[in-house]
Amino acid sequence: MQIGEYNFPDDLLFDKEHSWARIEGTTATIGMSDFGQDLAGEIVYAEVPRVGREITQGEPFMSVESGKWVGRINAIVSGEIVEANEEIEWESTLINEDPYGEGWFAKVEISGEPEGLMKPSDPEFATLIASEREKYGK
Amino acid sequence: MKLNRLNTVSWTDSQLLYHAQPRLGREGLNLLSPGSPYVCIGYFQDVDQEVDVELCRQQGIPIFRREVGGGAVYLDGEQLFYQLIIHRDNPLAPHGWEAFYRRFLQAPIAAYQALGIPAEYRPVNDIVAKGRKVSGNGAAEIGDYLVLVGNLIVDFDYENMARVLKVPDEKFRDKLYQTLRENLSTIRREIGAAPPREELWDLMAEEFSKVLGPMDTVTEVDEEWRAEAENLAQTMLTDEWLYKRRGRPRDRKVTIRAGVEVRQKMYKAPGGLIRLIAELRDGRLGAVSFSGDFFFYPSEKLVDLEAALVGVRPEDAEQVIRRFYEEQGIESPGVTPADLAHVLM
Repeated sequence: MQIGEYNFPDDLLFDKEHSWARIEGTTATIGMSDFGQDLAGEIVYAEVPRVGREITQGEPFMSVESGKWVGRINAIVSGEIVEANEEIEWESTLINEDPYGEGWFAKVEISGEPEGLMKPSDPEFATLIASEREKYGK
Repeated sequence: MKLNRLNTVSWTDSQLLYHAQPRLGREGLNLLSPGSPYVCIGYFQDVDQEVDVELCRQQGIPIFRREVGGGAVYLDGEQLFYQLIIHRDNPLAPHGWEAFYRRFLQAPIAAYQALGIPAEYRPVNDIVAKGRKVSGNGAAEIGDYLVLVGNLIVDFDYENMARVLKVPDEKFRDKLYQTLRENLSTIRREIGAAPPREELWDLMAEEFSKVLGPMDTVTEVDEEWRAEAENLAQTMLTDEWLYKRRGRPRDRKVTIRAGVEVRQKMYKAPGGLIRLIAELRDGRLGAVSFSGDFFFYPSEKLVDLEAALVGVRPEDAEQVIRRFYEEQGIESPGVTPADLAHVLM
């Protein structure tokens, strides 16, 4: 789904902090949404979590540096990191250029049911993006 | 909001205290100066890549990795630090980093202006006066808090700054030193004197209170704050923390201020390795220096090519190089104008 200039693929789930998850069985591939990367600006560094690490939904699990600030990324799901995209440590702009493809962050073996995730077609998602665009002047 | 007016503190406190506040759930504005010099690297930097660690060790200059972004800096007591820790839900904290910087940098800008220095905001995080940077600023999210750190620069030790940074060669160091001198200014350079320290602290407190509202002044670090700083020291003052490899930049770049940087790049063309040192000013090339192990005939024309590139936008460089090759009959086997332009991008 396209909202303004931002792309939100229909097969993904999103949270309020502009992360996405592609859930296949018990595994989720996670990353930053098109809107999230635009808010962040050009990402100059990314630090991906190490395989085996347990992460908790809503809590920070990695950092990025962009536009003169260091920001923490909160996990969109809980579980164990089973694969990490180390390529973004070398080419962090992949997060900007291809947020749903080569810019993915990690794959997570999910534990527990993620809460509060939205499909792009959910009315609450459209409301969220509209209010975020207004808030950030996007 | 508390105004923590701490004046001169140890160099470790000048970093650990503001890292401790978000962890204690405390907002505050700290005004302080470090009691001795040190080098501070950005969260994602690799200390071995950025700093001459051996030299620092010999000179007894400590090195610290902060949780804030940006580059390596030389800090000392001639710089007055402001450190703002504000909860992300505080209505005073604007949404978006540019708005955040723009709002809170109003205070140091007004302080500079009160001193007669025509300071202005330059996005994203610089304060400049007459085109030269007069204050360095960085920000981070630590827990649920937004942290702004920056300084009023009374005096600056350009020589030591250029000395402590790791550079590929002395040519790069000279360029860095010159670029720093040309693009970074200080209160002393701008007004010919350093006002009394107390006056500067008063000015900063006054200007920040216009942005943040009235604050209760505190002059001591309480027990809980001290304990958390000491707790953090157990991690942040260790070699493990300092040497942790984080980002992986492949080329070398020193940003002097927004829009001015010195770059060092390498590129392996079919005809050999091309090394570049270049200054970039507001999107245009400044001084350019090519070296490496490729052939360039006639060799004396390389200097002319470097001169021809001054003022050119990197994206237009290939065209300029191509024309230079044609006009001067340049031959560089295995190194094309496109290769030379590639390292300039």
